[in-house]
Amino acid sequence: MIDNLEMSPAKPTESTALPIPLPPAGPTAFTIGFLTLLSDPSGVVGGYLLTNAWGRPLEFRMSTAVQPNRVQQILYGPTLTEYLHTDLIGKTLIEKTALAPALLVTDSVHALALRSRMNVPTLVIDATESVGLIKLSHARASVALAYSSRFASDRAAIEERLERVDPAVDLAEPFTRIREAVVEARKMGVTTRAA
Amino acid sequence: MPHDAPNLLPLPFDWDLFPPGSEGDNPKLGRAPEVIDLLPMPTALTHPRFEQQLEASAREPRMLTQAPWTRGFGKLEMTVTTEGWKFPAPPPELDRPPNRPKQKDAEDVAEPKPIDLTVDPIGTTAKKRIRTAPTADMVLVKDRLLYLLQPPLDGLFDGRQLEVPFEPFPYQLEGIAFLMPRHAALLADEMGLGKTAQAILALRLLFHQGVVRSALIVTPKPLVHNWCRELKMWAPDLPFEVFPTEPEMRRTTWKVSNCPLKLINYESLTRDADFAADPGIYFDVVVLDEAQRIKNKDSKTAQVVRSVNRGRSWALTGTPIENHADDLVNLFAFIDPGRVPPDTPVRLLAQLTSDCILRRTKDLVQSDMPAKIMRDLELELTPAQQAAYLRAETDGVIQLNELGETLTVQHVFHLVMRLKQICNFDPATGESAKLVQLLSDMEEVVASGRKAIVFSQWVEPLLVIAKALERYNPLQYHGRIPQNERTPILDRFRDDPDAHVLLMSYGSGSVGLNLQFTNYVFLFDRWWNPAVEDQAINRAHRIGQRHPVTVTRFISENTIEQRIASILEAKRKVFTDLLSAADKPANRGLSEEEVFGLFDIAARPKRAAG
Repeated sequence: MIDNLEMSPAKPTESTALPIPLPPAGPTAFTIGFLTLLSDPSGVVGGYLLTNAWGRPLEFRMSTAVQPNRVQQILYGPTLTEYLHTDLIGKTLIEKTALAPALLVTDSVHALALRSRMNVPTLVIDATESVGLIKLSHARASVALAYSSRFASDRAAIEERLERVDPAVDLAEPFTRIREAVVEARKMGVTTRAA
Repeated sequence: MPHDAPNLLPLPFDWDLFPPGSEGDNPKLGRAPEVIDLLPMPTALTHPRFEQQLEASAREPRMLTQAPWTRGFGKLEMTVTTEGWKFPAPPPELDRPPNRPKQKDAEDVAEPKPIDLTVDPIGTTAKKRIRTAPTADMVLVKDRLLYLLQPPLDGLFDGRQLEVPFEPFPYQLEGIAFLMPRHAALLADEMGLGKTAQAILALRLLFHQGVVRSALIVTPKPLVHNWCRELKMWAPDLPFEVFPTEPEMRRTTWKVSNCPLKLINYESLTRDADFAADPGIYFDVVVLDEAQRIKNKDSKTAQVVRSVNRGRSWALTGTPIENHADDLVNLFAFIDPGRVPPDTPVRLLAQLTSDCILRRTKDLVQSDMPAKIMRDLELELTPAQQAAYLRAETDGVIQLNELGETLTVQHVFHLVMRLKQICNFDPATGESAKLVQLLSDMEEVVASGRKAIVFSQWVEPLLVIAKALERYNPLQYHGRIPQNERTPILDRFRDDPDAHVLLMSYGSGSVGLNLQFTNYVFLFDRWWNPAVEDQAINRAHRIGQRHPVTVTRFISENTIEQRIASILEAKRKVFTDLLSAADKPANRGLSEEEVFGLFDIAARPKRAAG
């Protein structure tokens, strides 16, 4: 399991990915997944919102808080955050959601590794790092976008999908909604129920 | 344990506890265990043997596998649980690219917004967005999340996503955000702030979300045309249908039509009481326009409206309290039955209803609207009017006093009407101080290329005024104009640059019409109730108005008009207080006692005197 986590974001070599399937036609059939990972004293919580091309919510899913213990932190070492964001929380949230995303947007650079786990173009917003990332500016986001340099060939698919997003949508905006929804759901006791 | 067992695992053993020569015994631990060799022993070697077979003791293995001998690492594998919610999808008929101006879209693609990579992450520097929020009484997590997860409204109507004639004002977006999550809502904005547009846009978004699939709008008959126009303007992608006049065709609309949005007038709805209450007919939303129509809870209209099977109940009115606090209680009998019990003390009303009411006045949103300039013009009667007025008042008061205990409020009303008519025109000569002033003002209006509306309580003065203003091509809109001719008259008033003045009666023209291309309103005489006057004024001073609106109220000096005006002004303040705090409301029109108080009458009917 840990072997799988070995991902070097800075690798210049490009992964050989399968051709990305074309998303279905129609603004409501075109889906965008927004994945956020939040850290608080109780651990790391994932929130995942699936919207249509107009940014309207179709599905929402959140995880319980994951708090690695000391031994897990030692054993997983530097791969821990990526494992949590990508394999444990991110992948689970996306796979458990009924609809598949045509484009995945995350605010965690560690979750960008999801691209190697699923055949969906994946973008990170507002990444402060630049190693292993290809920056992209687009009218659909008020902040910088980036994608993994290991999947440089995704550019055409990403741009094609960004054009399908409604011009009024700002890809950075739904993360505010997700955070509020996570807070609200936890206030309503959802975390306890899911745990 | 067999000595030559090859597969036994070695157990950890501390030889210090059993030093050589101790013969296998230790006072603390008891008998020493046998040493187990994993390899077969050469037969030549001698080795000690126990005299009897060793028996496993439960205590020893437990001791050796527990702390402090071993310490577990705990669970190495991490797990996560998730919970999710699916929201309604838009209906298939709305699954098409949204209409938007091509030019703007093209600009967006050609010139992407410059991105400042040093910008603060989302949220911290972002401007305040207008979003829907769950209501306090919403208990299901899914419902609460549905509204929290909606995109901000300020991004939807900026012309890039949904086709709208112009971007709604921020306070209107807040009105839409108020309506959308609510099953019980009273939008009580002051007239002219765009309640119709807010309701239409809220409905449109709910249809797009798939949350609402059927809606009924109930409106006064003269406003059906206005609603149709506004619907085409604010929700061009939403199909709607107006209930026909013929009863048999209405039956089809009730029973067969699948049109998602239907419009009916109060009169037709009342006639179709059986269909309205039919358990098989259901609407996700019922919107009542000019909802003050159901302020009398026992009226047939109110009963039928309440009987419609519905999911959400929205009421729109600028005057939720026309006369008494009970008006509000009766509105809530439709909006949220049971929320306000019939005998609720007035002081509790605001507390019970505040979550369901949104009211904004033009003062609050002044920055969004051009100014409304109120001009109270106190005019001296002409000598002929003065003489006629004094004669009529003196004689009238004498007659009232002579009636003694048989005096009723109707007698007083009769005198008031007579005097008010004299204030408009002298019955003998036709002289009118107001008309002289109006002619003078109209010259200014026409010179500036503007249009004006003149309101009167009666049709007769309007006919006289029409003749006097002939050179300005006056148009008339009152009870004597057939219904089918009214809309073309309004269209002509809007489109014909030579038609400068529209003469309207309060009864026909005070509600719901959009005449925001007009910048002058003249109240030739005053109505009894300030709410009706406000409605009249707000035909012109409403959303879409680009210039200040001047409202001139003609009041004849030292007459009954002045006395009524001062009473009504005092009452206007009470109305404002009621909706902003749990103050004691009062009748906005004149009470019986106040009507008697207009004159110096000694006589009083028995009931009033007692």
